[in-house]
This record gives sequence, C-alpha cells and structure tokens, in this order.
Amino acid sequence: MRDSRTRSKSRWAALPLLVFVVIVFGVPMLVLLGGTFTKEGTLSTANITESLQGAYLTALIGSVKISALVAVLGGVLGTFLAQAVVTSRFRALREAVLTASGVLANFGGVPLAFAWIATLGNSGVVTTTLGLGDHGWSLYNFWGLTLVYLYFSIPLMVLTVVPALDGLRPQWREAAQNNGASTWQFWRYVGVPVLTPALLGGVVLLFGGAFSAYATAQAMVGSTVPLVTLKIADALTGNVLIGHENVALALSLDMILVAGLVMAVYLPLQRRSARWLR
Amino acid sequence: MSTRTAGLVAALTITTSVIAACGAAPTTAVGGSESAGSTAATATSAQDFGGLDKLVEAAKKEGRLNTIALPPDWANYGEVIKAFEAKYGIKITSDNPDGSSQDEINAVKTLKGQDRAPDVLDLGSAFALSGAQEGLFAPYKVQSWDKIPEGQKDASGAWYYDYGGYISIGCDAKRVKTCPQTFADLLKPDYKGMVALNGDPTKAGAAFAGVYAASLANQGSFDDIQPGIDFFKKLKENGNFNPVEATPATVEKGETPITLDWDYLQAGYAKEFSSKGVDWKISIPSDGQYANFYAQAINKWAPHPAAARLWQEFLYSPEGQNLWLKGYARPVLLPSMQQDGSADAAMVAQLPKVEGTPSFPTPDQVNKAKETLASGWGAAVSG
Amino acid sequence: MASLTPQVTTQVTPGTVPGAARSGRPRQRSATAARPRVWRGVVLALAAVYFLVPLIASFVFTVKVPDQGFSLDAYGQIFSAEGFGGSLLLSLGLGVATIVLVLLLTLPAAVAVRLGAPGLRPVLEVICTLPLVVPPITFVAGISTVLRWGPDYLASTPFYQTIIAVQNPDFPVVLVLAYVVLALPFAYRSLDAGLGAIDVRTLSEAARNLGASWPHVLLRVIIPNMRSAMAGASFLTLALVLGEFTIARLLSFQTFPNWIYRISGSQAQVSVAVSVFSLLITWLLLLALSTAGARQRSGS
Repeated sequence: MRDSRTRSKSRWAALPLLVFVVIVFGVPMLVLLGGTFTKEGTLSTANITESLQGAYLTALIGSVKISALVAVLGGVLGTFLAQAVVTSRFRALREAVLTASGVLANFGGVPLAFAWIATLGNSGVVTTTLGLGDHGWSLYNFWGLTLVYLYFSIPLMVLTVVPALDGLRPQWREAAQNNGASTWQFWRYVGVPVLTPALLGGVVLLFGGAFSAYATAQAMVGSTVPLVTLKIADALTGNVLIGHENVALALSLDMILVAGLVMAVYLPLQRRSARWLR
Repeated sequence: MSTRTAGLVAALTITTSVIAACGAAPTTAVGGSESAGSTAATATSAQDFGGLDKLVEAAKKEGRLNTIALPPDWANYGEVIKAFEAKYGIKITSDNPDGSSQDEINAVKTLKGQDRAPDVLDLGSAFALSGAQEGLFAPYKVQSWDKIPEGQKDASGAWYYDYGGYISIGCDAKRVKTCPQTFADLLKPDYKGMVALNGDPTKAGAAFAGVYAASLANQGSFDDIQPGIDFFKKLKENGNFNPVEATPATVEKGETPITLDWDYLQAGYAKEFSSKGVDWKISIPSDGQYANFYAQAINKWAPHPAAARLWQEFLYSPEGQNLWLKGYARPVLLPSMQQDGSADAAMVAQLPKVEGTPSFPTPDQVNKAKETLASGWGAAVSG
Repeated sequence: MASLTPQVTTQVTPGTVPGAARSGRPRQRSATAARPRVWRGVVLALAAVYFLVPLIASFVFTVKVPDQGFSLDAYGQIFSAEGFGGSLLLSLGLGVATIVLVLLLTLPAAVAVRLGAPGLRPVLEVICTLPLVVPPITFVAGISTVLRWGPDYLASTPFYQTIIAVQNPDFPVVLVLAYVVLALPFAYRSLDAGLGAIDVRTLSEAARNLGASWPHVLLRVIIPNMRSAMAGASFLTLALVLGEFTIARLLSFQTFPNWIYRISGSQAQVSVAVSVFSLLITWLLLLALSTAGARQRSGS
C-alpha cells in the first residue's frame, strides 16, 4: 500500500503541466467566455441563444453528424489498417506506414482539398477516366466531405492504435488457440476487450479532429455542407461580416460543450474497460 | 554528473531568460521619439509637415513602411510597391498578402505598439466604416482630396475610396463552348457543375458582391438580396453551381471554368492564364451591374507615420492612380483624371466594357443584406 | 512471462518486448496462415490506392504544362522562391522547441498518473482532449486578445516586454506555447500507451527498492525504456508543427506552412508542387529519424 507521502509527491510531478495548461490554454478560454457573454458592452446571454438557433443550430448539428461518422468509420478502417501493418513481416513497411501516418494526420486544408478535387472533382482524373460524371457523381456533398476527412482521420487512428496492438502479446494468441479458440473468438473475448481503451481514445481523438477542421471544407464545399467551424471563420476572419465576433465565440463555447458531452460519455467507458487491465 | 546539478543549471537558465524577457514599456513613443515623430503621427495633411518635400524628407528618415493584405496581382499592387520603393528608397514589408479585411483590423489591434504593425490599410468599405467608428485610423487628407467625389470619402479623412470594379463573369473559352454573358445565361444546362464563386458570400467580399449582383439581375434591389440567394439556390438545384472555392489552381485544373469575381481580378487572371492553356474571357453582366470600392486608411498607431502619409500621397497622385488603372481597376480619381487628361487613355480603353454609371448601396442597406445572407445562405445551398 | 504451457512450440520466445519483430507463427498453421496474408494484402492495397491516388493526381497537375507535356519546372521554382529557406528553418526550430517542452511537461505527469495519483487520470484526459475540440481559430482569438492586453493595460508592468518578447518574429515563443497545447493530446496518448506497455509500476518499485531517488528512476530507468513512445510523440509533434498553419497565419508569423499558403495565390502549379514537396520531405525526415532511432536501439 503506497504511503500518502509518495502519493502526494507524485502529484507534484504533474504540476508543471497543469500550470502550463491553465495559463496558456485556460486564460485565452476565459477571455473567450468573457466575449461570449458580452453583447455590445453589457453582460448578456443573447449570443448563446443566437448561436443555438436557425442556421447556427443546423451548422452545429451538421458538424456533429459528420464528426461522429468520420470517427466511427475512421476508427474501424484505421484499426484494420493498423492490424495489417503490425502483423506484417516487413519492418520497412511498418516504419514507412507509421511515418506516413504521422505526416498525413496533419495534412489538411487547401492542399488536401485540391488533391481530392483533382482526383474526384467534376473534372478530376478519376472522374473523367471512369466517366463518373455521367452517372451523377459529385464530390461536393456530405459523403464526399466524409471521404476527404477520412484522409487525415485514418492515419490518426493508425497512430493511436498501433502501440496498443503492439501490446497484444503473441502469447495470448497462442494460448487462446491452444484452448481451441477460433480467430473470431480470440478477438471477441481477448483482443477487442484489451484494445477497447485505446480504441475509444482513438475514436474520441478522431471526433475532435473532424469536429474542429474547417479549411478543407471551406476550400471544397463551402456552405453546401453546414459546419459550425465555417460559421466561426466567417465571423472572425472574413471579408463580409462585421461585429459578429461574439456570436462566433458563443459557437465555440457550444463546440466545447459538445466535446464535454462526448468526454462525459467516454471517460466512464474508458475507466470501466481499463479496470481489468491494471 | 548528478541529476541534481543538472536540474539546478536548468532552473537557473530558465529563470535568467524569463527575467531577461521582463520589463515595462519604454516611456517614449514607439517608432521614433524625436519631436518630428510625434508631429507625423498627428499630421492631417501635407501642410502640417510644411509641404510635400518636407513630408518626403521625414518619410525617408523613417526609411520603412509596413503594408498588409496586398497581393501583388491585385490591382497591380506588385508594381505599385516597386514603384514607391524605387522612387523614395523606402523599404516596404508586405505582410500577409492573402489576408482579409478582418485580418487587417485584427493586426492593427493585436500589434499595437510593435514595430511590425501595419502602417496603411486597404479595406472593404464596410470595414473602413466600422474601423473609423472604433477609432482605429488617423485622419489624413491627401493633396488631391477635393477631387475625390463626395460620398466616396469620410468627412474627417479617416478613410477614402481608392479603386473599385464591377462584378464580372470570367470564363475559360477553351473549356466552355459559348461563354455566358449574363446572369440569366448562367442557368443554362450547358454549364453543369461549372459556375463557382471565390468563396462563401458570408466570408469573401467578391462572392457577397456576386450574390448582390445576382439579386439586381432578378428583380431584387439594394434593399432586397433575397432574389440573389434564390438565384443561387436555383443554380444549385440545376446542378450548375460548383461549391469549390475558385482559385487559379482550380481554374487551371479545369474544375471551375466559370467564376464570378471583380473585373480587375479577372482581367489580371486573363494575362496570367494565357500561358497555362486557359483562354480567359471577361464580361460584365448587363442584367446585374454591381460595383464596389475599397478604401484606404492610416493606422492611428502606425510605427512609420510619415512614410504612411507619403504612401497615400503617392497612391493619389496620377502616377499611383495610373498604376492601379494598369491593373484594370477603376481608380477613384478617374473621372477628374479623364477631364484633365492625366489618365492613361490606352489603359482606360482596356477596361472591361460597361454601360452607364454605378450606384452604390448605403451602409444600412449593406448591413441588412449581410444579415439576410448570413441567416439564409446556408439553407439555400445545402439543399 | 515465462508461464507458457509446454504444448506451445519452442519457436515462441518468452517475454517478447512489445514492438519488436515477431518471430513468426507456429508451423502447424501454414494453411490458415495464408488467409491472413491475403486479407492483409487486400487491406494494404486498398489503403495504398486511397492514399496515393489523390497525391498522384496533385503531382500530375504540377508537371503537366500545356503544349509541352511533362515538365518539372514547378519544383525547380520552389527553391528559388523567396522565403523558402527562412520559413523552413523557423518551422524546424519551432518544432524542436515544441518537442522538448511537450516531453518535459507530459512525461512526469503521465508517470505520476500511472504511479501515484490515479485520481488525476480524468483530469489529464480532459486536459489532453480539450485542445482538440477548440478550433484553432477560437484559440487564436483568445490568444490575440490576451496579447492585446500588453499595449492596452500592461504597458507599465514588467509583463509588457514579456508579451512583446514572446511575439518576436525571429522566434515566436507564443507559437511554441500554442503548439505545445495542440500537441498535448497526441503526446500524452503516445506516452501513456508506452508506459502501459512497460509495466512502469514494477520497474519503479524495483528501482526504488534498490535505493534510487525519484529523479534517478525517471531519468535512468523509465526514460530509456520509453524511447520508442517518446520518439513517436516527437515525430507526431514535429509533423504537427510542420503542418499547422491557422495559428501561424492569424498571428502573422512566417512559418513554412504559412509561406506555402502565401505563394499559392499567385502561382497555382508551384503552390501545389510545394505542398506535394513538403509532404515528401516531412515524410523522409521522419523516416530518417525513425530508422536512425531504430538502428541505435538495435545497436545498443
């Protein structure tokens, strides 16, 4: 049983990080809160109520929809890819894919949009070669944007899940086989439960990443797919809207609240799934 | 080497560097503490310097100028900057060329008191108005102040229109058989998936103007932008609307062969694209003529106040105005320059053809239109 | 983990270090071994198509010149473009500083959570996921408002120069601070996964029993075992810094991604070429670092 002195001493080790986050992240966020609740110089909740109505509400729901879809799809596909890479015999392949994932997880914005426009846009290479345009194909909708968002989400999932897959010791696989388990049974009763904390963490990471992305959507679909980050960008760095900054800050607060909800669901799940691992 | 010594050394290094970075602001003003500096910051005309030559002298002493959001191929700003540098020997730092008007206002506020704050601003007219209301600009009247038409400058000199243009339809004649000439043409089925704006109308000024122009073409008015929104809704339903943000890259790729943008930008693109296999044609739609000006202003806390004022004098001299004309923009002094013959006739002839004279919406009409757009655009095009 | 049942063939080596190359599957499953290989091949092939085709399409755009066919001019123009070297060096420097600071802050916290303060785990989880859902735009709006306090309210306090100093365009510390916040989620998860894989509790208890002080345990026992997790966290952070452009652009600092965006306005082919090129060099850089790390690991 650890003595309380050691326990309190360990807490100090986390102090620099906490102090840093409070100052560098917390202070700007407090400023954000201040701006959210200010309308023309006076304290008011008008910005929040405005941010939850009409076009803004549609945008918020649209963002949640696409982020959830990308998180789940990316989670599943990323895990399969990670497993394929981890179980491969070629170490070079593993290194190449992992480093490429690190690079592609941060690839976004206009270059990513252009790459996909050049591929599957109305005059894209694949579209013209396969004659997809005649069948009514369009990249510029919810599903097209999902396809593009997966481009940086799957690598992110791979990066998150590979360390956990590495932790799946081959001895467990062999032990399961020796006890007569099929591959499916191994995964269902041993593999997936062990991986669940990492999988959940990855899915949450993917949700957050897709939720706060905007430059790609701006370059590719504009307002045809309603997204809350586009609305925030319109108000904070645009050439058209003036004086809407505080509504944008209110929208950001809404985003944080949505994230809070996701965390509220994720944390108990994570704790329960990791309990038997300790 | 014990960990304790290492820790102590690290702590010492960090503490000394942190202390070195502390310190109160210097009591003297930023950007020159001589009396000449403080005079320059409050000068409202060249007379306050004792004449244009004294202004040139003071500016040369400052030696530098910070500009922001001036793309080199926008109204020929590249050449304007080079000409100014060559004429006065003042080095220009052109920051954030792709910035928006909001970015400029943000830079003024965030970089206040720093040496790299922008000296001069080129803003959308609505932003110039709101910036003046917030007290961000230093009033200054250039020597040709009286020649700027009424209604195109702020009475106290906080901002003044510089150049403008019409919304036009640009079209790649190599990829499109018959180029559309009017807004009504854009709805034709020949243009499926081809018509694009340079961004969202809720974010990009030219796109907003495009919707306003579409409204004028469809029985709307400056008071009513809804027909414009409905037009684009129809365009989307037809399948003609391409939501991609039109850029030189997407045009060259062939993804956005038809775009709506300011005519001076389209004309600049025509030159740039001719070597890339694109035959860019421009037409100002006769059914929806919408023109708008941008505005100049001087940062109240400009680090180089004399150079900033000299820049304005340069821009509003025939030399500066003709350089803008060379960029296919319509400079604000064009009417008076055409009268006294200082306008470059060849360049005037190059401007895209338009009938009649433009009328402009009032700030209230523009604000109302923006509100309508902000709440209605998303629903209209995401159908 | 020597507790294997005797029926297992001796091909398996006990106590495998996670992440090392597998020693191969038992011989009796050669028939079923073919199935995973096919499945793996299909997955890898699909992934290759999905990830490579858009990049190839971009590349094709950059080398196609009308009337001339193939030409690599766009790539040649990258190096002569103004600002290429300076912005790249700045981004690399920011990356290194961010990596150092992130590891310094996160490693002790991750170890503390595992060893002595499990109650801190939810706190750290929240802290390390929050930066992901606050869009960079909003974060920058907050940061720039705070920076504005300098000239507006703090002009007569020592903090004024601090605020100016962190915005020094030659090496903006404010960007390092912002990037550390952005990198926290990835670094923390990477380190946490690594700590989980090495059974840090046993290791540290053993070391403490042998009389090591806590700093000694951290520096000489835990860190050497965490090399691959730390390397992973470092690569992620470096890739993040080299790819992040919203914050740099809104605060007007000339980082490499910001420079790429700047020249995209005027020259279409060169700008796309720069993106493709920067992807390539980032990847090669990470690959070089990771193979160097692997060689060091296997050599030591």
